[in-house]
Amino acid sequence: MEFHPRMAYCTFLLVVSLAFGCAPTATTKPVPDSSGNGAASAKSSDTARSGAGQNGGTKESDASASSLKALQEGKPPITPASSPLKDVFFDFDRYDLSADARGVLRGNADWLKTNPSARVDVEGHCDERGTNEYNLALGAKRAQAARDYLVSLGIAPDRLTTTSYGEEIPVCQEHSESCWRQNRRARFVIAGRRATS
Amino acid sequence: MKFLLLVLSLIFGFHLDLALAQFKGEIVGSGGQKFPIAVSPLRNTGSATADAGRFSTGIADSIVHDLELSGWFRVIDRSSYIESPQTSGITLGTFDLKDWSTLGAEGLVKGGFSVQGSEIVVELRLFDVYQGKERIAKRYTGGVSQFRRIAHKFVDEIINQFTGIPGVFNTQIAYVSNSGGRFKEIYYSHLDGSEKRQVTDNRTINLSPSWGANSRTILYSSFQERGQTLYLRDLPSGKDLRFNPPGAGRFLGGKLSPDGQMVVATYESGGNSNLYLLDRSGNVIRRLTEEPGIEVSPAWSPDGKQIVYVSDRSGSPQIFVLDLQSGKSRRLTYSGSYNTSPDWSPKGDRIVYTGRVGSRFAIFTIPVEGGEPRKLTSESFDSEDPTWSPDGRFIAFSSNRAGKYHLYVMQSSGENQRRLTGSGGDDTKPSWSPRLVD
Repeated sequence: MEFHPRMAYCTFLLVVSLAFGCAPTATTKPVPDSSGNGAASAKSSDTARSGAGQNGGTKESDASASSLKALQEGKPPITPASSPLKDVFFDFDRYDLSADARGVLRGNADWLKTNPSARVDVEGHCDERGTNEYNLALGAKRAQAARDYLVSLGIAPDRLTTTSYGEEIPVCQEHSESCWRQNRRARFVIAGRRATS
Repeated sequence: MKFLLLVLSLIFGFHLDLALAQFKGEIVGSGGQKFPIAVSPLRNTGSATADAGRFSTGIADSIVHDLELSGWFRVIDRSSYIESPQTSGITLGTFDLKDWSTLGAEGLVKGGFSVQGSEIVVELRLFDVYQGKERIAKRYTGGVSQFRRIAHKFVDEIINQFTGIPGVFNTQIAYVSNSGGRFKEIYYSHLDGSEKRQVTDNRTINLSPSWGANSRTILYSSFQERGQTLYLRDLPSGKDLRFNPPGAGRFLGGKLSPDGQMVVATYESGGNSNLYLLDRSGNVIRRLTEEPGIEVSPAWSPDGKQIVYVSDRSGSPQIFVLDLQSGKSRRLTYSGSYNTSPDWSPKGDRIVYTGRVGSRFAIFTIPVEGGEPRKLTSESFDSEDPTWSPDGRFIAFSSNRAGKYHLYVMQSSGENQRRLTGSGGDDTKPSWSPRLVD
């Protein structure tokens, strides 16, 4: 597995004035990612490092690292409460958006409109029940449903990619509905700055 | 041997769930006795070696493991054996059959071994205690590190003797495990956990291993670089061939065809997953489904002419069968609201799959032409990811009945569910290899 943490996320944060300190070395430019495809999204999201924002005495970065990156770094794949982009949740074996989910997505869209250079990877996740491959497909549906709604609210499609992790990276490990509910989610990972802006 | 074949092939041939008989020629129905057999520790017929005990009982242990896993035998407990394995003979006339008939044994396995350097020579025999006859005599030579494989080969011979079809114990199971930590890596081993190998070590998520026809390749999906896709691992060289997705999407999983020349894969793009036929380098031959929803988890028919898979086109995940020539699909399952992960029996007659029962998941089989599903596992826990043995007489699956997910094997009737040696983590997604050539 090759990872190229380029501190892109920190650079991005500075650009959008989110006022979180970056390590002095975090001057590498984000990797332009104009393909807009999911295969590239994992790479670009890998450049986001939640642990990078430790300089300047601030708390951990308030945006999310990709769930795969969190797994690799041994961190919980949790979206911090302070993140401007909130998770949305789904019913078992469903990928349609509830009224609540649409409300959350409208808030996420508002943030994306005020931060027009931000690129986001939408992650789809499932609970542990059912089989892995079906859940990968279901997670892709969830990510796509959230992405499509953001597009319908006016977010440019080339700012949004999708990735499905199926049931493979749960945020809650217990075997109960209260846990499963938290795992059936779409997450929004700031993946860098739009190359075209 | 004649009576054995007569009695037991009758039984095994027509009623798999009636695999119960006695050496005496008497057929015992369901709920009757299993075939009582004794397996003596092996005699060291060579020079003394420090590892003698390990081989003597290790080979016997592996034979016992396989016989019990088959569900057709009742192995008589070793602690009750009368004769001393290191002093009694291993050929007919050089030991006392009464020492074994007294214990109720109707079959007896005896053998000897000698170690020369890194090689071990093993002689194994099956006796009919009741008739006082030798049924099988085999000599094997192999590397000392693979001594358990010799036991598996001999049990395959025993089962061939009884049923006319060799057993499936000289095989391997590939699976996904998080035993190394929080990552999911792919491993394989024999059914008894011996000769365990780690296939992937990339500290990400690796899924859906499936064997090639020659047991020398494993196809799997992985998040190891640039998003999820398929990789074909050549086991002898350790090299991976990466399948480049045909567009902006990703391969979620796939299976090699029975002849090993093609792959049926799930390709997801824009939220829609569909089935694609690929060559063994990952190039698209043609798209197989044109549905807007989820089409996933394909598996081949043994003749390579049909694909069984999951589709949610009816509103919930159900099992469908696609005819490759006509391109037409038919729905196979109608009961239950969640049926996934199908696998086609090598015999061709049944499909095994995972179905939701209440809030749990159980293993079912259903005739290929459709009909009434048969539930094989209890809904008081979850069982998932079934895979057929190469002879279609057994099913391996993963289940959380003991807390974590472990691998289990059962007869295709659902009888004799037994846990395989675990890794310490969650072991899931088993794939049963074809019979090994050596």
